[in-house]
Amino acid sequence: MINNQAGINEKHSERIHHGLDILPSLKYGIPGGLGNKRWTGELLLATYLQASTGQPPSNGLEYRIGDSGGGFDVLSWRKPGDMPRLATEEVDLGIPLNNRAVGAKLSIPFPFYGGGMSFGSISLNFMIARARAAEKLGTYMSTGEGGYPEQLVPYKDHIITQVATGMFGVREETMQYAPILEFKYAQGAKPGLGGHLLADKVTSEVARMRESSMFTSLYSPFPFHSVYSVEDHKKHVDWIKTVNPRALVSVKVSTPTDVDMVAIGSYYAGANIIHIDGGYGGTGAAPEIAKKNIAMPIEYAIPKVHRYLVSEGVRDEIVLMASGGIRTADDIAKAIALGADGCVVATAEAVAVGCTHCGNCERGRGCQVGITRG
Amino acid sequence: MNGIELREIVESIVRSRFKLPMVTGMVEKSEAEGGCGVIGVACTVPIEGKYLLQSLVQMKNRGNGKGGGIAAVGLVPEQLGVTRQVLDDDYLIQVAYLESRVRDEVENEFLNSNFIVDHSSRIETVSDYQSIQGLEVQPPVVYRYFCRVRPGILEEFVHANKLDGMERSAAEDEFIYQTSYRLNHRYYSSLGEKKAFVLSHGKDMLVLKLVGYGDDVVRYYKLEDFKANIWIGHHRYPTKGRVWHPGGAHPFIGMHEALVHNGDFANYHSIVEYLAQRGIRPLFLTDTEVSVLLFDLWSRVYHYPLEYLVEAMAPTTERDFHMLPVEKQRLYGLVQAMHIHGSPDGPWFFIVAKNDPRTGEKQLLGITDTSMLRPQVFAIQDGPVKVGVIASERQAINAMLRRLAEDGKVPARFADVYWNARGGSYTDGGTFVFTLKDADAGVKRLECTDKFGREVVVPSGQYHQSVSSQSSLSLSASVASQLQSLEQMHADRSSLFQYLGPLLRSGGFDYVVGLVEELEKLGSRGQGSFWFAVEALTMLYDRIYDSGEKRRASLLQVYDDALTRMFSSIPLLDGDHAREFVRLDWASRKRLLPPLKVDNLLAVDALDFPVEGSESMARYLVECYQKGWRRLVAFNLRGHRFIANGLGPGTSGLRLDCFGDVGDYVGSGIDGAEVNVHGAAQDQVAQIMKSGKLVVHGDVGQAFMYAAKGGDVYVLGNAAGRPLINAVGRPRVVINGTCLDYLAESFMAGDPYNGGGFVVVNGLRPTHDGRFVEQASPYPGGNLFSLASGGALYIRDPHGLLSSDQLNGGRLAEFTERDWGLVRPYLEENERLFGVGIERDLLTVGGVVLSPSKVYRKVEPVVLQELA
Repeated sequence: MINNQAGINEKHSERIHHGLDILPSLKYGIPGGLGNKRWTGELLLATYLQASTGQPPSNGLEYRIGDSGGGFDVLSWRKPGDMPRLATEEVDLGIPLNNRAVGAKLSIPFPFYGGGMSFGSISLNFMIARARAAEKLGTYMSTGEGGYPEQLVPYKDHIITQVATGMFGVREETMQYAPILEFKYAQGAKPGLGGHLLADKVTSEVARMRESSMFTSLYSPFPFHSVYSVEDHKKHVDWIKTVNPRALVSVKVSTPTDVDMVAIGSYYAGANIIHIDGGYGGTGAAPEIAKKNIAMPIEYAIPKVHRYLVSEGVRDEIVLMASGGIRTADDIAKAIALGADGCVVATAEAVAVGCTHCGNCERGRGCQVGITRG
Repeated sequence: MNGIELREIVESIVRSRFKLPMVTGMVEKSEAEGGCGVIGVACTVPIEGKYLLQSLVQMKNRGNGKGGGIAAVGLVPEQLGVTRQVLDDDYLIQVAYLESRVRDEVENEFLNSNFIVDHSSRIETVSDYQSIQGLEVQPPVVYRYFCRVRPGILEEFVHANKLDGMERSAAEDEFIYQTSYRLNHRYYSSLGEKKAFVLSHGKDMLVLKLVGYGDDVVRYYKLEDFKANIWIGHHRYPTKGRVWHPGGAHPFIGMHEALVHNGDFANYHSIVEYLAQRGIRPLFLTDTEVSVLLFDLWSRVYHYPLEYLVEAMAPTTERDFHMLPVEKQRLYGLVQAMHIHGSPDGPWFFIVAKNDPRTGEKQLLGITDTSMLRPQVFAIQDGPVKVGVIASERQAINAMLRRLAEDGKVPARFADVYWNARGGSYTDGGTFVFTLKDADAGVKRLECTDKFGREVVVPSGQYHQSVSSQSSLSLSASVASQLQSLEQMHADRSSLFQYLGPLLRSGGFDYVVGLVEELEKLGSRGQGSFWFAVEALTMLYDRIYDSGEKRRASLLQVYDDALTRMFSSIPLLDGDHAREFVRLDWASRKRLLPPLKVDNLLAVDALDFPVEGSESMARYLVECYQKGWRRLVAFNLRGHRFIANGLGPGTSGLRLDCFGDVGDYVGSGIDGAEVNVHGAAQDQVAQIMKSGKLVVHGDVGQAFMYAAKGGDVYVLGNAAGRPLINAVGRPRVVINGTCLDYLAESFMAGDPYNGGGFVVVNGLRPTHDGRFVEQASPYPGGNLFSLASGGALYIRDPHGLLSSDQLNGGRLAEFTERDWGLVRPYLEENERLFGVGIERDLLTVGGVVLSPSKVYRKVEPVVLQELA
């Protein structure tokens, strides 16, 4: 620890000028006030470090769990005694994204892809960074519901077009770009609440992207007004397949108590991926009262859905992706152990480029690192 | 029976039910289900089961083959092998045996011991169920028993349960009801094994169901030629449970009624508890079962008139409640306070077929939930026989009428009126009832009334084309030559119409048929004349005019037949000819080639194309477009979905004309193209439409233009619930009828003066004598422009009927010259398309031409403090 004035000045100077590039070295210890129980300061630093180096931290930084006292932070591993250790080259982390007999045989080389964060809530630079990363890694990322900026078109083979309830920026053109189309019925951070983009944030760029007018408030309703039943949902899936017959269909839902029913309904409607979004995720934009208080925690939802799909005899035909608070590789492994095929991550990608989880996205002051839009 | 006596009887019935064996363990909904395909028909003469087939086939995509069923009410004694008296007086009990060996036991213990069985028989089936394609599970063996309760047994039941004050026939009903419950409890639910259950037990009605589709029931139980006055049919879409049983399929029964359902409740447990407090326990554990249990409780046990029953099912809420007369508010308030916990919450639509053995009246009912979350269409054709139809989709109604018309049972394949119910409303209560009553000389009369008993009237003084009349008169030479000269002059639509209009009023059907033949003849003379004839016939089909004594439905058929003949006469595309018009169909679809010239026209016969999927008509049209075709006609449409979807961006220059019955989602996503729907459209029209033009010569259904970004759209008729929700950008829409509810919720279409969007609602309806008259209210619903942050609504409301309590976030504003300047070009196009005259129909009020500002009102957004 440093306790002389010069040392304190140096520490602050380093933090101001080099920030996350220096902090993970722990030269100055774990900065007080950084992070929270789920995303601890250590975890934020470790995630940033891993993104920079591609390696786990070597200085003892905790990179696997947070300090929430629940969920994935208290689940730990037990290795069955007779389980042989595989050589690295024998390990294949890849997963297919289509287990049905028909349709494109897409797969990803490791079990996650990037979740929806919309233009308007995040900056274009961050969006492009995600798209580039997805392309380089051979995985995907979702547009979220704020439209499809043309700067993303060069990466279209790695971009999932989200069709959310407001259908902002959803046109046949953007639906036809996509190898995977994602229906977003609800978000685990705020199920049943829809969305609202304040008039002040609807700048000319945002308005153009969402085909609305500048400085008028924008709403995403809950639910889809054309889908009030599984049969409507099937029709909706058929519609998507008419517009883009080669795309796989992912159905993103939150985790109500009957999430298993929703999953089986999606299976019968022809979905390739059922994506369940638990309550820990979401950005700073979700109302505090909703976050963690409405949806079922994802670690409960995964086995519930997995077992149900097994008992219905359809598990092998559908890909189960989980999201909503998936932060680390360990979280992904745990989600898979609980029954998921893979995970969808978003916040971790923001942390990888410097998000400190300060939670000020919606205060109107702008994001200090330019990841979200203030 | 006074109130106190009734109360005592009700209490005795409820007490007697507490003695019934109980299901132990938690009652959980065993199967989840959502949408379904439903249809119901009532006819003044008995019609055969085969007429359900085509409608059910055309709605297969609303089920998943895991449950199908039918009910028939108003049967023919001879085909059941009994006398009229036995049919009227006996309970017609149908038992489904999943295990044949329990039959003796069931017959001895439940039937012969309690009932005098006047007649029994095994229901005939096809010999091998696997001969019906897609039927994977052996349907149950069904026995039919005509029974009366043994008098001694009935007396014992009455005495033991203190039901002495009850009429004996009512007590007998209750005994039957409880006996069926016991039988089902013993053989279906409690043992875990499904061995037998009662399909139906009412008088003059029956139910059959299986694991499959609704039309499979008709085929498997050989009902093609079985006759009844009322039919309902159902496809089910259950998703939970690996093993399905016919017991879970619809219809479910109360006493003398059967109910099918499309939807899903959020409060199943609350309803189960509500019923349990009244001694009723479900055995089949589906939403539909509890629905009909509620229906039976309220109608038979509580003696509620239909109006109260509907109020308990679908409460009148919000502004609609306040629009009710004070006395009704008081009454409905009591009903709601008493029964709200038993009121099904969520999306649902019920069709009920019912017999009232006391009066002999048979009924077909459609009831929609308060929020109108499921699709529903009602229709009547009033000809030599009168038919009422209710279905999930208009195309299913037309499919049934088409089959009836082909067999000469009805004169036309179109109904005289079609409409949607407005759920939980003060206007119609979301409910319509078709009642068959005995009129003179064994003939039945069909009446259609809403929740409040108000009759739906089909205009009198007009007649259909008689089924037998085929002869055509030759027209006077002057008409033929006039048509030719109009053709040579390249007459525009309005002058052609001005010439033909008056002829059509005075002439008889023979005259119209002659005129149509003349046009067809003209069309066969050359390629230029061909299109003239098609356009003339299309206009006759689309336009509203005074047809004199001729019913429009019959005229539509004449024009539609002629158009179909003309399109079918176009030579198939074979690449050899430089023809301006070519045709393709399912069989020849692989011959698709690019057009020789960009303005060549390709007509595609939709008949055998799948309604959805990778080989669908919609995908084929995309292929045609991609091959370079820019003028397309799709004809013989039969509910084909997603027409004009998938064309992609920048499609201006493409024109597509649709004939027949378009299915859901027509015009969704179009970006530049012009799509004309000749006739009505269904649900989800023009969702996310980006730009271009869509014209619908009829009504549109639910969720019209959801999340649209733009486009010029013209609708001749009404829009159902939730139009224009979440629309952004610059949609510019003229609706000549009205909308049911939630118009332009979260409308975000910017500043209409600066490129933003707007909706004009004219609130008119066409009359049978060719005028456009005001509807009772230009917009009857609440939730107008809720939370809208952009755009504007222009509503024709010269009498100031629109009030600010219909708004939720917007405000009424003055209609200015600037607004008129904005909408006028659209109303001019509207006049050109539909003949809705700006001066004659829109600005004339009570015979006087008013200024636009006195006729239209504007609704504009306000900045809501809590949302800014």
